[in-house]
Amino acid sequence: MLERYRKYYPAAGVVAGLILIYLTFFQVRETEFVLITQFGRPLYTVTDAGLNVKCPWWSSTYFDKRLRIYNPRPSEFLTRDKKNLVIESYVAWKIEDPIRFVQTVGDATAAEMRLHDIIWSGLSAELGAHDLESIISTVAEKTQTAQMLDTLSDATDRAALQQYGIKVIDVRVKRLNLPEQNKQSVYARMRAERERIAKQYRAEGEEQALSIRADADRQREEILSVAYKEAEKTKGEGDAESTKIYGQAYSKNPKLYKLLRTLDSYKKVIDDKTTAILSSDSELLKVLTRGQGGAQ
Amino acid sequence: MSTAAVEAPVLALAPEPQPAPYWTRRRIAIGLFTLWVLSGVYLVKPDQQAVVTMFGKVVEPRVLPGLHYAWPWPIESVAKLKVQQLQRLVVGGDLPDSVLGRSNPLTSQFISGDQNIINMRVVVQYSVGVPADYLFRLQDVAKGVGVAVEAEMARRIAHRPVDAVLTTEKAAIQEEVRAAAQKRLNDYQTGVQLSTINIESVTPPPEAADSFRDVASARADAERVVNEAQGYSNDLIPKSRGEAQQMKEVAEAFKQRKINEATGDAARFTQVAAEYEKAAQVTGERLYMETMEQILPKIKKLIVDKNGNLDLTIIRKGDPAAAKK
Repeated sequence: MLERYRKYYPAAGVVAGLILIYLTFFQVRETEFVLITQFGRPLYTVTDAGLNVKCPWWSSTYFDKRLRIYNPRPSEFLTRDKKNLVIESYVAWKIEDPIRFVQTVGDATAAEMRLHDIIWSGLSAELGAHDLESIISTVAEKTQTAQMLDTLSDATDRAALQQYGIKVIDVRVKRLNLPEQNKQSVYARMRAERERIAKQYRAEGEEQALSIRADADRQREEILSVAYKEAEKTKGEGDAESTKIYGQAYSKNPKLYKLLRTLDSYKKVIDDKTTAILSSDSELLKVLTRGQGGAQ
Repeated sequence: MSTAAVEAPVLALAPEPQPAPYWTRRRIAIGLFTLWVLSGVYLVKPDQQAVVTMFGKVVEPRVLPGLHYAWPWPIESVAKLKVQQLQRLVVGGDLPDSVLGRSNPLTSQFISGDQNIINMRVVVQYSVGVPADYLFRLQDVAKGVGVAVEAEMARRIAHRPVDAVLTTEKAAIQEEVRAAAQKRLNDYQTGVQLSTINIESVTPPPEAADSFRDVASARADAERVVNEAQGYSNDLIPKSRGEAQQMKEVAEAFKQRKINEATGDAARFTQVAAEYEKAAQVTGERLYMETMEQILPKIKKLIVDKNGNLDLTIIRKGDPAAAKK
């Protein structure tokens, strides 16, 4: 009876061999851990990528060992000085110990829930120990966000690794905000602040403008008065020089000067509205009244 | 295999007495094997780099452009990446909420160091820096880049006053965030190379936007007032200088005129004096007479005797005038 199937033996052998190869060899990719179990009991973990061998009856489970980013929902926290702050954080984590991971949490969603709890309590403890000013401040030296988060990352990592086989690389705050109910008052404060700044700008502009105008007026006064001073000085020089020239010339013959000047004055002083009462004894009329003897 | 085993007898039983058939099983096998081996040849294009893995393990972390060979499936596999292609990612901004069809305000609000709320939209551009890390280290690269940039951005903004964020320090923030986020991504071994962080828009919230605009216009007003004053000054001072110069020129002209006139008068007098000295008596009388001749024709004259009495009423008939001499 077996004789009838003898011709299928080689084919059956090949198929059996392929199945054996399939069960024995397994490929580990760079992105994976492989957990080897025997009837559900974890034996060991393969962490290095490449081709590996196991007993055919052992089974393998694959875990993503890549870094994952988890965003917990934003939550409201209270700082030490009783200010509300909405914080949105993210966690960078990966599976470090697949055996512990599979025994305690099982899958990523469950892991993230556990991480959320750890981080939430960590954040609320850290924030409760700090004033708002050490998180939000214009003075960068005052803020302690970085140290806070480093502490929190370390604490979370320690807890998660021990309990769940999870490595927490980093916990960071990716968004800071104020609770919705506080925002209206913040907007009002922002508006008041802006109005103050606007007023200040306008007043400062006015101040500068006034000082520029005043300075210009002062410069004008200065320029004109200096010019007046110099002009008068120049005129004085002219007067002095001309006086000197006249003096030099006229002092050579004062008698003639007096005569000429007097005669000149007559021409100017006496015009057609003048009535002259002349004595017949005058120099001009002497001859008229006395005849030729008057010319003496 | 089994089909080949079935077919083989059929071929062997073929009645034609042909010489050995060309397509023997051995030749087909060799041909298929050769094809399989040749299928390992692959091309990496100029804008690409490739990573080669053997049974999942990285054996060639960075293959540069060109023609290459890798063992075909299932031994080795080749992943090609466009390393130079920039990928764009928006952080914040009012991305519409797909479920409710409205924008989610939380995603774009940041809070500044002086506790002002501002809306921001940041665009990140990145490329592949280390192909093997990029492929195998992070589950969701885009998400990782997004949160790293956002976290650094939030921290930088929480340390600065709102005016600095809105105006002067935008470039500084971009650069600081790029450096810090790159460092963080390197710590995570993401293999990502951040190329630019660009704050595309940064605006005050709509509830306070008017007040912010008013500050801007106040600044412009102040500038305008100062410019006007400067204009006044620029107009006034040169004009004043011109006037001053004019005053000086007038004075100078006056001085020259005075001197020239004096010199002329003096010259004339000196010449007359020289002649006068030669015949003083006659010249004096001549000058006197000539002057009288010029003056007397124009005026009313009353001639009285030296000893006679003068009736002053006659003066009233003419214009009241002072009599000389």
